[in-house]
Amino acid sequence: MDIGFSPEETRFREECRDWLHANVPAEKRPLDASDAIGFDKAWQRRLFDAGWAGINWPTDYGGRGLSIVQQVIWLEEYAKAHAPWIGANFVGINHGGPTLILNASEEQKAYHLPRILKGEAIWCQGFSEPGAGSDLAGIKTRGRIEGDELLVNGSKIWTSFAHVADWQELVLRTEEGSLRHKGLSWVICDMHAPGITVRPIRKMSGQTEFAEVFYDDVRIPLANVVGGLGNGWKVAMSTLSFERGTGFIADQVKQSQEIEELIAKARAKGMIKDDRIADSLAQMRSEVAAVRAMTYRNISEVLRTGQPGPEASVIRLFTSELGQRLKRMAVLLKGEDIIDFAYGDDDAVGDYLRGFAATIAGGTAQIQRDIIGERLLGLPKSR
Amino acid sequence: MDLTPNDEQIALQTATADWCRDHMPLAGARSRSAGLWQQLHAMGWTGMTAPEMGLDHATEALLFAELGRFLAPVALLSTAVAARWTGAAGKTALALPAQEDVRILDGVEASRALGAFGDVLAGFPLDGQLSSMFSLDQSTTLARIARPAAIEPVDDPHALLHLQLLTAAYAVGCADAARDMAADYAKLREQFDRPIGWFQALKHLCSDMAVRAAVARSQLYYAACTLDADDRDAAFHIAAAKRLADQAALDNGRANIQVHGGIGMTDEAHPHLCLKRAHLLQFIVPADMAALLAA
Ligand SMILES: Cc1cc2nc3c(=O)[nH]c(=O)nc-3n(C[C@H](O)[C@H](O)[C@H](O)COP(=O)(O)OP(=O)(O)OC[C@H]3O[C@@H](n4cnc5c(N)ncnc54)[C@H](O)[C@@H]3O)c2cc1C
Repeated sequence: MDIGFSPEETRFREECRDWLHANVPAEKRPLDASDAIGFDKAWQRRLFDAGWAGINWPTDYGGRGLSIVQQVIWLEEYAKAHAPWIGANFVGINHGGPTLILNASEEQKAYHLPRILKGEAIWCQGFSEPGAGSDLAGIKTRGRIEGDELLVNGSKIWTSFAHVADWQELVLRTEEGSLRHKGLSWVICDMHAPGITVRPIRKMSGQTEFAEVFYDDVRIPLANVVGGLGNGWKVAMSTLSFERGTGFIADQVKQSQEIEELIAKARAKGMIKDDRIADSLAQMRSEVAAVRAMTYRNISEVLRTGQPGPEASVIRLFTSELGQRLKRMAVLLKGEDIIDFAYGDDDAVGDYLRGFAATIAGGTAQIQRDIIGERLLGLPKSR
Repeated sequence: MDLTPNDEQIALQTATADWCRDHMPLAGARSRSAGLWQQLHAMGWTGMTAPEMGLDHATEALLFAELGRFLAPVALLSTAVAARWTGAAGKTALALPAQEDVRILDGVEASRALGAFGDVLAGFPLDGQLSSMFSLDQSTTLARIARPAAIEPVDDPHALLHLQLLTAAYAVGCADAARDMAADYAKLREQFDRPIGWFQALKHLCSDMAVRAAVARSQLYYAACTLDADDRDAAFHIAAAKRLADQAALDNGRANIQVHGGIGMTDEAHPHLCLKRAHLLQFIVPADMAALLAA
């Protein structure tokens, strides 16, 4: 066990830092998905051109083929430099791309992966439905096979960035009458195809960042099925493991900044003299340190065994709840100034309101607890 | 960077756990045999931190977490720290200074005691017979003696951090023990025609125990590495490890009793042993607010 980095890794860190220092945009990323899309694409392109996109993706598809430790170093420096959130590129970079790398055909990979890395193709995730959120196996949207196409009908909901996306990771019921996990397929859906209607939904913080998606006789070539017809559940589970797994690396560093800023603010305002505030700041600073330790432990596990340990769900659950505690503290330190928040503003209050998503999106805290109890502790399955 | 144990460390960890299971089962913690210390000594558990053994703190953290899981005697902590920093051999009891006097924990057959006096670690000889009784933690005897006139401070500030780190490791082990006891029981005990672990109210109690233990263990590993690397943030990381480990041990101790229902609060069952040990550990070099909030 050691926490040191090799000379090569340290040099890499310096390169990351230098480039970010010179290139992080001075202007703020717009909050609303439709306003941010140009910004997100341009920034992703700049990252790609300078060799910072897909650091541990295979070189054949435009990645750098470097180690996961270097990916972590990049993300640490990225957050330290206050570089903008990758926004609309999130799905493609964090779980669409990795799912394709693991499950897709050569042709699918060759076409889509470079486009994702360059910020040319925005992806969204069509998993949840009005009647199937936590219960993903309950999905009803269906794709009937007609020749070499799927004829798709149904609807999805809470699809982040659907209104600006080009492609979608879409899970469908492709076997008529099939039940639960069986008969599902994971397909690449062209969001510009005829028959698709997108209706944006406003969040309680004011932004429209997710949407409802309706499919009315949408035709998708069978060649767009990833991982084989009927294997959708397995492919979807790999998507979820990336969604629940990779995001936390960046969260870890963001949270370490948040806590330092909170402590500085509490000092400046003299609020640190309040024992309860001092105690919860000390608590959260310890927890943030532990999140880094857990992240490093998990990355080490990947390096050692080729896959993350079952504790990925632990990290996911813990960081999502810790993130919310940090945001609550920020609001507490603001005091009655929170009243001045105007719908849509980006500040502590906006972050706090948007932060409720952390224990809902990508599997709720309750679902994560089920997974931990069942997979880590071996308790009987409730579902 | 690697925060997982290597093969050699895993082998040591497994050997430690196996030995503990055979010779020092948790179930026996309330009445440890008089010969246990001799056995621990013979097996080398009391001398492994001596400088000539060359063991790093990361490996110690792993092994002490295993020992802690079986509620090993608390004098192993003070003995280990004494072995590394004062060269003392033989049993060193753990001293906890109180308002007016000093509590001596696990002092049977110890010739010295060692503990944190304010922010210095100091030792002193124990002379004469201690009149020991049992403490809240039935694995530990307790005597109260007058404050010694002279104490010998251990100059190196790392020594105090070392004691804090090993105590955190004990607490991590204690949190693990409670979690495993709860999960095992939840798979076995049936109500409403199913194992109680099927019910989410109970499953989620257990999951939260797993989360607390994982958080504390990760920070323990990191903290041990900062001490090995003589990192300038070592004091913070070890304090954070201690705080999280203490909380995990206490909260898991409490949850374990709830998971066991009525039997959980009886003397005959074991959950209370973990809870009581957790209460004791929280007073050994507690995490200091100044270290946690230092700029
Ligand atoms: C900001 C945001 C972005 C999102 N983006 C996307 C996206 O891009 N693509 C996509 O497909 N989906 C997306 N989602 C949807 C998300 O995956 C679902 O909201 C989530 O899985 C929960 O489903 P639900 O909303 O239907 O809630 P429900 O499943 O109805 O849950 C309601 C409550 O019941 C609890 N509950 C449900 N079942 C159980 C159970 N078995 N045991 C215990 N408690 C249970 C839940 O924990 C929750 O507290 C997004 C959600 C949010 C908030």
